[in-house]
Amino acid sequence: MIEYTIPPFLIFFFGAALIPALGKGRVRNIFLVALAVLGIVSVVILKPQTGWKLPILPGVELILLQVDRLSLIMGYIFALAGGGAIVYALSTVKEAGQYVCALLYMGSALGAVFAGDFFTLYIFWEIMAFSSLGLIWYEGSRRARDAGMRYILFHLFGGAALLAGIIVHYVNTNAIVLGPVGPGVGYFLLLLGIGVNAAFIPLHTWLPDSYPKATIAGTIFLSIFTTKTGIYVLARTFSGVEAVAYIGGVMCLYGVIFAILQNDVRKLLSYHIVSQLGYMVAGVGMAAGLEIEMGINGAIAHLFNNLLFKTTLFMCMGAVIYATGKNNLTELGGLAKKMPVTMITCVIAALSISGVVGFNGYVSKGMVIHTAQVEGLTLLTIALTLGSVGTLISFLKLTYFAFFSKNEEIEAKEAPLPMLVPMCATAFLCVAIGVYPKLLYALLPYQEAALHYHAYEAGHTFGVIELLLMTVFLFFMLGFFAPHDKITYDVDYLYRKAGRRFIWFCEKPLVSFALAVERAVLRIAGYFVRFGTLEEAESQAVEEPVVSVSIGTAVLLVLLFFALYLIVMLTHGWLMSP
Amino acid sequence: MDKKVLRVLLILIVCVVLVVSAVSVFILHSEHLTGVLYGAVGVGLFMLLAKILTMIQKEGKQDD
Repeated sequence: MIEYTIPPFLIFFFGAALIPALGKGRVRNIFLVALAVLGIVSVVILKPQTGWKLPILPGVELILLQVDRLSLIMGYIFALAGGGAIVYALSTVKEAGQYVCALLYMGSALGAVFAGDFFTLYIFWEIMAFSSLGLIWYEGSRRARDAGMRYILFHLFGGAALLAGIIVHYVNTNAIVLGPVGPGVGYFLLLLGIGVNAAFIPLHTWLPDSYPKATIAGTIFLSIFTTKTGIYVLARTFSGVEAVAYIGGVMCLYGVIFAILQNDVRKLLSYHIVSQLGYMVAGVGMAAGLEIEMGINGAIAHLFNNLLFKTTLFMCMGAVIYATGKNNLTELGGLAKKMPVTMITCVIAALSISGVVGFNGYVSKGMVIHTAQVEGLTLLTIALTLGSVGTLISFLKLTYFAFFSKNEEIEAKEAPLPMLVPMCATAFLCVAIGVYPKLLYALLPYQEAALHYHAYEAGHTFGVIELLLMTVFLFFMLGFFAPHDKITYDVDYLYRKAGRRFIWFCEKPLVSFALAVERAVLRIAGYFVRFGTLEEAESQAVEEPVVSVSIGTAVLLVLLFFALYLIVMLTHGWLMSP
Repeated sequence: MDKKVLRVLLILIVCVVLVVSAVSVFILHSEHLTGVLYGAVGVGLFMLLAKILTMIQKEGKQDD
């Protein structure tokens, strides 16, 4: 039998290149569906321990494809959720450019999870940042444009930190293979770079700022790839770091409290990405010693499940916005009878994310909390458990006020079929994995350890049921969490204030200072000319044409000089540690 | 039944459940009913945090 080991990113990059030539009709739609299927097949046929290497310098080779169980499960869920998002987009996306961005984004995310070395990872990391920016800007409004600018600034900062960390790591170890990093400056730079994509608090603000402003289909793609790639790289490089586990606990609570306060449905879901990432980050951080297998399994299982229920939720809310043109809970309501399929899938996904018994979120959330209990991390256990309460509150709020509360004025009809099919498929998988968790266990990086975990242990199950019932009861009895029009400041308020102050500083005092220095220098030069003997030269100098170089050119020249300097240093081996 | 009476009854039931749970967990050192306490503490915590955060809320649209 012939074994094909084509890196899946090539399929999507090739597809992206062909899209502009296919027009806007049925041919393009058929091609996109075929591409989604081909993408899934290209991942499914990959075998562990296979790879593709590309030598670039003597002794240095980029590993474009490295397959093991961890990268494979990421590939499965990316191909599956991304394929669903492509089908979903058929109803709402008309522009070829948006498909090009989505396919490049999906391809680069697959490239990143199958990358075997840091440099390959960095290349795909940056392609992801720029291609995803297109999905925000295609929305076309000024809000989207501004949010896109803030998004790319954050990701350029994260990318720069990642690259600097990679270079320092390479200089210290002479190794570029993707793996654990030793302590030092490179360690913190890498954590910072990965932390931007994994939405560590307070580096998370780009996420709830930009995702709700992207196009309807764009938000689905965005919710799938960037943050999950961050978690994957974190699992590769920082597993077992206890501080990381506590960062996860903070993310879990921080995200959920801000989600509860939101009125915009996509902003609520965006804050929930931060909160759910908290469980994954905590799982990765706890993967140390005897619990390394359980921690990684919990994190990756929750990542897998999260992609199923979160994609479903974004698809459902996209369908609601598509059908009603409204995105605030205060304007919605009464959609249960008008959009029954959307309502059912949304309720299934909401039950899943809330960790209700019988759904997939219950299984993976239980794995992470169980690891915290076994490791004796009481504070973290409490934080993660309370996170479940907050999640249930915000999804009671979302589903009740979007579908069941009274609103007789609202007009809507059920979403088109291409939107419903992927929603139903992912919702079905949420139930299937919840009822029969071994479907998921078989895919996890440490299969044996997963099989030893009993999701439906009586004590745990009853504890979760008690927690959920109490929360539901208090939610409806207190009636405290109704949506309202007010907005809540996140830490990005401070960033924006600081940004405006910085621009003011550059435009006013700094420019004034530069002008003063220039005047002083000219005055000093004038004294030299006056007291010097070269009066002729003075007049000659004035007549000579002045060669002016723009700031951009000057910066480019300086950067080129440094690049040349680094290349010379590298080829002579002066950058290596002795 | 009057809505006010119903509300008072519900609050009473919740209080009884919470007291029973607290006795079970803290005095009898049983792990049963911990979920009830987590649920009540969680809702209370998020109400408190939401109340604190509403102090720095304003009318209008974010980001602009």
